[in-house]
Amino acid sequence: MNKDAIAISLDLINRHYQEPNRNRYEGKYFWEELYPLIRASGFRGIEIPYEPVWQFGGRSGVPMNRYCINTKYGSATAYREVLRQSGIDRVTGVTFDPNLFMRNDNLGFFFGASGHFAGEALAHAADLGADYFAISPSAYYGRMAHYHPDLESSMDDVVGRETELLGGLAAKAAEAGVDLVLRNEFWSLFRGERVLTLLGALPDSVKLDIDTATLTIAGIAPADFIAAHVGRIGCVHLTDTDFVDTTDNWKSSNPEFPAERATQVFRDPGTGSVDLGGIVQLLDRLGYDGPIVCSARQTRDPFRALLRIRAFLNQLPN
Amino acid sequence: MPNIRYANMSHWKAIPYRRIENFRDFYYEDRTNTAYYSDWDTILKYQSALGFDGIEIAPWDLADILPLFGSPEEFSAFAKDRGVEVIGMFHGAHASHAADHFDEAVRAGREAVDTIVRFGGTYMNTCPTDNFYGNGPLSREAVKQCARTINEIGRYATDRGVRIGLHNEFFCAINLPNHREFIESTDPKLVHYCIDTAQVAIMGEDLLTFYSDYHDRISTFHLKDTASVRQPDAVRYAQDPEITDDGTRWFWEPGLGELDLKGLYRLLKQHQFKGWMSVEYDGSPDLLASMALTRYHLDKELRPIYD
Repeated sequence: MNKDAIAISLDLINRHYQEPNRNRYEGKYFWEELYPLIRASGFRGIEIPYEPVWQFGGRSGVPMNRYCINTKYGSATAYREVLRQSGIDRVTGVTFDPNLFMRNDNLGFFFGASGHFAGEALAHAADLGADYFAISPSAYYGRMAHYHPDLESSMDDVVGRETELLGGLAAKAAEAGVDLVLRNEFWSLFRGERVLTLLGALPDSVKLDIDTATLTIAGIAPADFIAAHVGRIGCVHLTDTDFVDTTDNWKSSNPEFPAERATQVFRDPGTGSVDLGGIVQLLDRLGYDGPIVCSARQTRDPFRALLRIRAFLNQLPN
Repeated sequence: MPNIRYANMSHWKAIPYRRIENFRDFYYEDRTNTAYYSDWDTILKYQSALGFDGIEIAPWDLADILPLFGSPEEFSAFAKDRGVEVIGMFHGAHASHAADHFDEAVRAGREAVDTIVRFGGTYMNTCPTDNFYGNGPLSREAVKQCARTINEIGRYATDRGVRIGLHNEFFCAINLPNHREFIESTDPKLVHYCIDTAQVAIMGEDLLTFYSDYHDRISTFHLKDTASVRQPDAVRYAQDPEITDDGTRWFWEPGLGELDLKGLYRLLKQHQFKGWMSVEYDGSPDLLASMALTRYHLDKELRPIYD
């Protein structure tokens, strides 16, 4: 296992939820201080969650989409140079989820906006030289059900439109030399093994994104899933959790914040109950040599999380 | 009933919980203050405790609030149980200066009015159109078109008991050269004005002069201070002016900037302003601290002048 190649996702910065000093995250100065700290914690690659929301205001310091990066740096190339000078050699991947566009009863708007911005994000991933573009093929199940109470009865239509959208992206990804990988978050219409049906309807070039915590929450043993589908894995997210969904929280409107118990779903890698060490060794044994990313989504202390993850990785065998 | 009732423009960003049922357990997960900023129950209690009886909803939060509460009515009932009423919502009239966008801008404005009515609110503070960058300078015809659009939204709002208040940002395409021309192109019976005290001062209006000139158009305020009055064109017309690259704050809590807010309160008294005033804390690193500091300044410095 080449631990130097393991990247860190910028999702460790909580951009969306309130906390004291959250306002810093919209300023360019914050991120430009963060990049060297990421390198100092031993990471040479980052993953960017592509977020169109930052495109709609004068807050382009948040480096989460093409508009922001072009506004502040002129081009993806110039941004990569800033990263390089901070010790970050590469943008390993770009992720995209369409939750922002699930905001009314118009599925046409949802698929239209999702498709447009996913295309933008994919092209941006190519400009950044990323290995993969990871897309969530669904919004929160609960949010979709809120705006579309007939969701279950219209599932065939939804799956058909999603498959069409992904098919178009697959062609663009192949052309751009970026791997299109499917995320299957625990809150997704395509959670757990349901993602396999979607995958089966898409070209072989489309791969799976293994997210260890989200598989665990969905009731799937990540090691078994990895072993069964290793030939089609395009990206692995090392994520951790202690959460057990006993109340169908995954169907709620804000599933990463379970109302029943008011607890966080994800833990900093190495501090939950997922056997991440075992999974890393399994990937090694299976000969997986694709991208691996650590994600401290929902961490309450990003700087501590960086060091916690490095301490965890340091314990793994080389 | 006091002459002025105070509300907060909601800049809390996404609040993930309605109510944290097990606050103590939540706290012990990480022993940080995360729990204190994670549920609407607590946030609304802060408001109520500090004497802010109203809240103005941010439209960018709707996609989160509505699934969380089920409906605008349910959110309003939840807030009311904690002593806070929804007074209205902000709205951005996207591309209202563009003639070919008239129908879309009016449709979006009407939908926002309908949403406010469902929340039980009566104010819609509306940014007239998009940023200057990429749009300005507007032609005289474009300014008139913007006024036509806002008048049309204002007519719909007025018929439903909602007062639309123009809310100019310092970086808006309606800017210092056409600000007053635009206001005077709108129908005073249908379109009012929400003075964002900092925004108009940063844009280059003198706050007291502007209020004196337009006091009969004022529906409400966004009260905040600034230490950056009369910014140059290069700042106001820049591509990305709202959040500075180096962390410089445009907006400060009342009393921490340079605006003559005591002078404003003397004018409020002179013109007998009555109604709601929203306080806005955009850019604050700690909204609860800002709220408490503002309450102190209101009670000790401003309200003794008038209210």
